[in-house]
Amino acid sequence: MSADRAEASTNGAGRQPVLSVRNLHTAVATPEGSFDVVRDVSFDIGPNEVLCLVGESGCGKTITALSVMRLLPTPPVRITAGEIVFDGADLTQLPERGVRDVRSERISMIFQDPLTSLDPVFTVGQVMTEVIRTHRDATKAEARDMSVDILRAVGLPAPEERFDSYPHQLSGGMRQRVMIATALVLDPEILIADEPTTALDVTVQAQILERLRQEQQDRSMSMLLITHDLAVVASIADRVAVMYAGEIVEEAPVDELFSNPRHPYTQGLLRALPHASRKRRELVPIPGLVPPMQMMPPGCRFAPRCPHALEQCWSDHPPHEVEAGVGFRCFNPQPF
Amino acid sequence: MKRIAARSIYTLIVLLLSSIAVFYAIRLSGGDAVSARLPASASYEEREEFRELLGLNDPVHEQYFRYMGRLLTFDLGKSLTNNADIFDMLTEHGKNSLILGAAAFGLVFAIGVPLGILAAVRRNSWADGSVMTFSVAGMAVPNFWLALLSVWLFASTLGWLPSAGCCSFKQLILPAVVLAMEGIALTVRMTRSAMLENLGQDFVRTLRAGGLSEASIVGKHVLRNAMVPIISLAGLRIGQIVGYALVVETIFGWPGLGQVLVNAVLRRDYPVAQFFSLVLITIVVLSNWLADVGYTVANPRLRRT
Repeated sequence: MSADRAEASTNGAGRQPVLSVRNLHTAVATPEGSFDVVRDVSFDIGPNEVLCLVGESGCGKTITALSVMRLLPTPPVRITAGEIVFDGADLTQLPERGVRDVRSERISMIFQDPLTSLDPVFTVGQVMTEVIRTHRDATKAEARDMSVDILRAVGLPAPEERFDSYPHQLSGGMRQRVMIATALVLDPEILIADEPTTALDVTVQAQILERLRQEQQDRSMSMLLITHDLAVVASIADRVAVMYAGEIVEEAPVDELFSNPRHPYTQGLLRALPHASRKRRELVPIPGLVPPMQMMPPGCRFAPRCPHALEQCWSDHPPHEVEAGVGFRCFNPQPF
Repeated sequence: MKRIAARSIYTLIVLLLSSIAVFYAIRLSGGDAVSARLPASASYEEREEFRELLGLNDPVHEQYFRYMGRLLTFDLGKSLTNNADIFDMLTEHGKNSLILGAAAFGLVFAIGVPLGILAAVRRNSWADGSVMTFSVAGMAVPNFWLALLSVWLFASTLGWLPSAGCCSFKQLILPAVVLAMEGIALTVRMTRSAMLENLGQDFVRTLRAGGLSEASIVGKHVLRNAMVPIISLAGLRIGQIVGYALVVETIFGWPGLGQVLVNAVLRRDYPVAQFFSLVLITIVVLSNWLADVGYTVANPRLRRT
């Protein structure tokens, strides 16, 4: 089943991917029935590669990431089909125990809101020490040294004192650095960052992104960055996957996506973006709203909002096409 | 620390005001203190003379200042009914009450917290259902009725435990459990909801992403967070136990402070009633102060650094 998918993947260099998501379906159970919030999502992340997952709020980006980490709030949300292949094993089939060994040690995740994402009644150091000692045979002193080193590396001032601080004693940017440090302390192969800068001040956002980029390069780590901010995408991504209503509608190398987007939704996103070089060009919003999950159209999910929709778009669901290293889901791609 | 200092001053003010309130309440509550001491055949002159001796004819505020002055020098006076030294009554009955109260207080947390955790972790299971049913019953059943019921069942019918008396371990069991019941019921409920609330917090997901075991996440991180409101209300449980002790000690014939106070009020033995009211008020107010300190200690966000 995954043979055609592997071919359909746009992983350019043909290197062995570190993480390979295949036809992932994640559904939420509601009183009205079960609905796919992530539908037939496939992507690869190569070694040392940054893949950005972009899309509007509620398009399934976070659910995709949580599926990979097996952190879905089950019930009501659960993976219903597909594979998540990491190091030869399908993460969807691993027992809880096996997943815990992967988390943080090999795949780490940081979250959107650093204010609520840190345990308020334990110090930074207590939590970091516990994470280290859960996975490694380390004394408390060794764990402390490891923690202080990584806190210093991610740019936290006075890391020795901060080790004994409670989260409420830190600013938002410092808390995000603590979360990054905790995620990186075991030197994972993949970092999943779910909107890591959305809750921060603009000036701090740039610092945190720069730090993430730096760590990713220094450690030759792969990264899955989730964002709705195309400026972030342009500054950090190697490849981009655009999600709409639970599906990846386009996937391309970052330069290709910005210069030559295929899918009308991607084109719409780019037209809605202010651009310094274009003088006073009007921003063009995408008309309409994302359909609610109970009322998804049977054909292309974007058809109701698409300026180029054909007869076929309303009746048939477009498959994932690949053309010159770019994957997209559209019957009628337009030149940009 | 600033917060604790502010609460301490507030606590002192409450104590002062409640001492005034108790003093006035006893004098305004009617009944004749003198008849507690003198025989019914005593003449009007004898009664009047006795009143003058006790200073009962002075204005109430003068009596108050005189009483407080004596309190500060630990001159507690004597009972009007049997001339017993009030300080001796305090040490003797205080010890009994302390045993009963501490046993009940311990039971509240030793039973309430684990049951609450069980209900939260096994939410919507039969275990959760039974624990919650028990909790509703514990809150709804008045303790005097529960006391009588437990005497009927365990003492009269089954004969497992003595129905009253002091101060063996077997005699302690029934009054301690009855006294603790409402606290247990409330603590179960609070623990369950605090655990569930914290289980849904973002930080739990972060800890799971860190690969920590479910046992550590629930048993250490979530529990510590959930304990913040429970510790802060532990002081209120003390207050509740002190209040219910009046009823429970009387029913089980447990010679504690509550029993002394009830008897003193019935006999208009006002030096005893007034002093032991003040003692119980002081315990309640201090336990609330302790709750504030406990809350500050349990919740790092309130600690000033």
